[in-house]
Amino acid sequence: MSKGEFQFCRKTESPVLGGLGRRDFLYRFGHGLGGIALASLLDQNGAMAAAPTKSLGENPLTPKRGHHAAKAKACIFLFMSGAPSQMDTFDPKPKLSEYHGRAVHRVYGSLEKRIYVGSPYKFARHGKCGMEISEIFPHLATCADDLAVVRSLHTSAQSHTTATFFMNTGAFIPGSPSLGAWLLYGLGTENQDLPAYVVLPDKRGVFGGAINWANGYLPASYQGTQLNSVGTPIVDLAPPAGVTRSQQRANLDLLRDLNDSSLGPDNPNLDLIARMRNYEQAFRMQTAVPEALGIDSEPRETQELYGLDDKITESVGRKCLMARRLVERGVRFVQIYVDGWDSHDKIASEHRRRGYETDKPIAGLLKDLKRRGLLDETLVVWGGEFGRTADNSMLFFRTDPGRDHNKSAMVMWLAGGGIKGGTVVGETNELGTKAAENVYHTYDVHSTILRQMGLDDMKLTYYHAGRFKRLTDLGGRLIKEIV
Amino acid sequence: MRISTSVCLLLTIAIVTPAAADPPDPKLDAAVHAILRTKCLSCHDATTQESDLSLENQASMLEGGKASGPAVIPGDSAKSPLILYLRGEKQPQMPEGEDPLPEEEIKLIARWIDEMPRPNTPKAAGFWPWTPLQRPTLPEVKNTASVANPIDAFVLAQLQQRGIEPAPLVGKRELFRRLHYSATGLPPTPASSEEFVHSDSPTAYAEAIERVLDDPAYGEHWGRLWLDLARYSDTRGGAIDYSRPHMWRYRDYVIRAFNQDRPYDRFIREQLAGDAYPTYGTEAKLGLGFLAQWVQVERDSGELARRDYLNDVVSTTSAVFLGMTFECAECHDHKYDPIRQRDYFRFEAFFASTVSKVESLPFSQYEAPKLNPERWDAHKKSWAETLEKRAKWHKDVKEEFKQRIAKRRQLQSPADLKDLIVPVTVGEVRDAVDAGRLFTKEEQALYKLIGRQSARFANPNSPDYYLEKAHSAGTSQLANQVATHILAGGNYKLKGERVEPGFPSAITGNYDAVKLRQLGGKPRKILADWIANPDNPLTARVLVNRLWQHHFGTGLVVTPSDFGKNGSGTVHQDLLDWLATEFIDSGWSIKHIHRLILSSNVFRQSTRHPRYREYQNVDPANKYLWVRAPVRLQGEAIRDSLLAASGELNREMGRPPYFPVADDGLLKSAPTWWEPSELEERSRRTVYMLQSRSFPLPMMKVFDGRNMDESCPDRGMTTVTPQVFTLFNSPFSHARSHALATRIIREVGHDPARQVDLAFRLVFQRTPPAADRKRCISFLRSAEELAQATASATVDKPIDPPAGGTLADLCLVLFNMNEFIYLD
Repeated sequence: MSKGEFQFCRKTESPVLGGLGRRDFLYRFGHGLGGIALASLLDQNGAMAAAPTKSLGENPLTPKRGHHAAKAKACIFLFMSGAPSQMDTFDPKPKLSEYHGRAVHRVYGSLEKRIYVGSPYKFARHGKCGMEISEIFPHLATCADDLAVVRSLHTSAQSHTTATFFMNTGAFIPGSPSLGAWLLYGLGTENQDLPAYVVLPDKRGVFGGAINWANGYLPASYQGTQLNSVGTPIVDLAPPAGVTRSQQRANLDLLRDLNDSSLGPDNPNLDLIARMRNYEQAFRMQTAVPEALGIDSEPRETQELYGLDDKITESVGRKCLMARRLVERGVRFVQIYVDGWDSHDKIASEHRRRGYETDKPIAGLLKDLKRRGLLDETLVVWGGEFGRTADNSMLFFRTDPGRDHNKSAMVMWLAGGGIKGGTVVGETNELGTKAAENVYHTYDVHSTILRQMGLDDMKLTYYHAGRFKRLTDLGGRLIKEIV
Repeated sequence: MRISTSVCLLLTIAIVTPAAADPPDPKLDAAVHAILRTKCLSCHDATTQESDLSLENQASMLEGGKASGPAVIPGDSAKSPLILYLRGEKQPQMPEGEDPLPEEEIKLIARWIDEMPRPNTPKAAGFWPWTPLQRPTLPEVKNTASVANPIDAFVLAQLQQRGIEPAPLVGKRELFRRLHYSATGLPPTPASSEEFVHSDSPTAYAEAIERVLDDPAYGEHWGRLWLDLARYSDTRGGAIDYSRPHMWRYRDYVIRAFNQDRPYDRFIREQLAGDAYPTYGTEAKLGLGFLAQWVQVERDSGELARRDYLNDVVSTTSAVFLGMTFECAECHDHKYDPIRQRDYFRFEAFFASTVSKVESLPFSQYEAPKLNPERWDAHKKSWAETLEKRAKWHKDVKEEFKQRIAKRRQLQSPADLKDLIVPVTVGEVRDAVDAGRLFTKEEQALYKLIGRQSARFANPNSPDYYLEKAHSAGTSQLANQVATHILAGGNYKLKGERVEPGFPSAITGNYDAVKLRQLGGKPRKILADWIANPDNPLTARVLVNRLWQHHFGTGLVVTPSDFGKNGSGTVHQDLLDWLATEFIDSGWSIKHIHRLILSSNVFRQSTRHPRYREYQNVDPANKYLWVRAPVRLQGEAIRDSLLAASGELNREMGRPPYFPVADDGLLKSAPTWWEPSELEERSRRTVYMLQSRSFPLPMMKVFDGRNMDESCPDRGMTTVTPQVFTLFNSPFSHARSHALATRIIREVGHDPARQVDLAFRLVFQRTPPAADRKRCISFLRSAEELAQATASATVDKPIDPPAGGTLADLCLVLFNMNEFIYLD
């Protein structure tokens, strides 16, 4: 094809090329990161700062002020992977029990016959607030007055991977930053000697793995650090076996001397200064991380509070206790995964098992945080990736009933960090299949978490691929009943 | 005021305003918008648009409405219809049927309009990078001695206008190192560096440029940078991160294209429509791998999955080739650039019939299997054996487990039923292993490992790597019948008006549909021809900017995939335009542009400047290029450099990816699994390493590794603590340090002074100053001790005995020096 077959614009004036002027830009987005962004976008003369140099040698994790006063300094997210059932945990549905065994008058894609399943669990009222909690959580029930249960949640995906990813990042397709990454981007961290965003995965695996704690399009410093349950907690935190600390010290000293010698007095590269600082910090981290995770040093009574004396509760208990020790030391965001909630069948036994496994450790965490005065400034969030159905296939119903995936209704609870305890928000419909009253979306949970941490989800934006992106896409609503 | 790094990334949106612009007043701006929002937008926002007028943003105001054309005339409030209507000088007075605005509010708006930058230069009449490309005349400069080629003239002219002196030229040794990394991503050999430094030939540098551009490592390096843009991966992404086992052929294709200096217009055509040019042959079809890289995750419906594909292809194509951020316009008109939602779907319509596919494609004479058939056959055979051996081993273990259960069952069953034992099922084995009564912890772990090795999901161990197949794209009749509609809010269920393929209206100036039949050929071919056309204002500009970017760390336009209003723009429009016209006139030769850039004095500038502090106040961001910014190597270059220094780098090219050693703990909890390739194989350049979306190698990740899920135009350059763990602690760097130490001892024996010198030469291509040499020698333990220490060590057992002060320790320290990863 020869030149000129296409018509390219030769107009001298294009009416649409005005674009968004600098002022317009500032007006809309200048509040990006509270005062920081706006202030930094303008240089002394008030002009928009010019093309960025890539790094200015500053630590991207330096603590930052949020958009408003924070209620919580840290957040512990207890991710119940596989999706717990709402009607067997925090959302009793007596009507469903009446329907137990009846066929559902509905077609589910195929002509499969489906049967209603009543909850096999008893509910009782707990605490001063009289919140109804399933018998699978006897210990947690004693913390009822600290919990704010949101019964009327729904989400946007109902396959595990997509929904898990959606719960963590507010997006369906990998490539977006996770909640924790956004928190670090907005707030930095208090303790530079520990990773700011810690993930304690379930050894059974996490749907999608590391994409759930990725930094996405945010800078790499904001990614979550997975702490391994075996070997060194962080990849290459320690040198290979046999390398002693004094040897490392000697190496570091040589490194510093040689760097100083080649740096020269007029070297403008601030990165280099930051880099040497990082070596010293890494050297400190090598001892700080194992120290923070050293739960063996906790008194026996505390260990028992978390259920470390019971083989079944030990695994979750260890993670919960680690989480407390981490937030105590200034870690911003800790996420704990507990897998196994995906009870398509055998809900009567499986949810009881999961309940047992998590109940004492989580209740222990809440009580321990409270008695140490940490609960006020630590936001604890509990939930899965979606909810479950009220009915089950005929096959499973006959053998041992369970529940399938349901994005239209799910339950989560929040505690601490300025959350109003003893609250129950919203309702599902009679059978618990759909959020019906005071409906909230998972975006609203994100919005509320950010808000408690001192950030405004509408202002916490990052310019990427031509637009300002945020965790909650078009914005979430504050769940006002619980704050 | 210091700018924090996180915010500095936000700054990529910095907008270049005409020099004459007043300082902005954000308060005024906010106030005006508040007024407009409360008083005007109820009738004139983007959705209501009474009289076709939207006052939502500056762009829409300038576009104006039916009644009076543009609502504002920048710099002239008295003539701006907005003010005339508000004052009642035009009827009906606005807001219609409401109280008129108080005069102070109108005054505020008037001031706002008066301060709006006036489009008074010819350039500002159209939006620069979207207007036709014209070869600028070379500027006059005073000091012609420092002009090596026209690039310098453009830069110098701007500097002289501002009274800034450019930095002096960098030393020869640093230049040679810079040249090599810039062109090949690898350090020079100490010998070639020596030769260059001591050569008096006036043509030495020009010859060195030719040599590096002819080095196949050039294609590996620049090909990899293209793969960043092409969101290259050997896997599909998401949790079910299936392998895309033939994708390496696209990777090799890209490397080959760069090495052959394939004309860029052809390179574009191949990647977007390689199937539509029969004369281009197999090679062009390999280019279609570009259209097969989308993240393929499980979706609730087929339609959503199709949206994922189309969105990926539209946003990647527009960003990579045109520097346009089309992505925004999927759901609504672009907020800042004149890209309408209609444009998005008209662009998408070119791909309406496009589907990604795996097709049989025989290996061509340029590909690894034909270039080196013996190596190919050997690898193919060894891979087949590996898989076979593994499969047999799996079978044996499972069988043994089964037998154990069967035996126990037999023992437990009543004597008269011993012959009637039911066979043990797979599920029973699984349950029994889980229960762990019959099986040890090790056996449980083994069973789990087998599960991962034979998993369907997230398993890169595909048997298909060696098949003559390729991931490419084709035209589906079925998809062809699906019309493209504008989707409200990007929601596939809300189909609006049907659209035909068409080019972006902001560039063509119209919404005309492309006359497909008249132009003859596949819609994709027509799009490719339009992009690869010399008249396209963006294609060449965007590409030469990318080339500049990777030689200097940042592009002239700092946002390489956003040439729109929110992109950085540039003060070097003429330079960029000149390079772009040179590029087109050279027959789209990428190497031609490299030659120009590499031979310019701007490229040769030092990172130091005698008046650094002074100029930093004048031009803190170094917009005018008065000094060279230091550049940190990307993760791949760091890994390659470690291997190069230790002498282990295997320069074999092409073939399926190798599997690196990954941290066991991490890999165990990842959805994926692999076992590392042989040391020799995994000592190849990093571009040949498995690119797994669900498991990026931590060493790459910490050095701002790319997000493989989407096109990556620019790596970050952060300095964070985990980088220390990687370079200072990882088994990988310790093994390289030991290999380097072994190499040094092999070459110069045990004399500490010679060891130190050679270490510096191999790592930095220089010898240490006396003080550093002395410091290093005193660091090393005595020769006898060292001999003892290294004698018993092997590559797999790097530090032995672990007392420190070994040559390996010294090598490790050198690898951690700033100089190793920052180019001066």
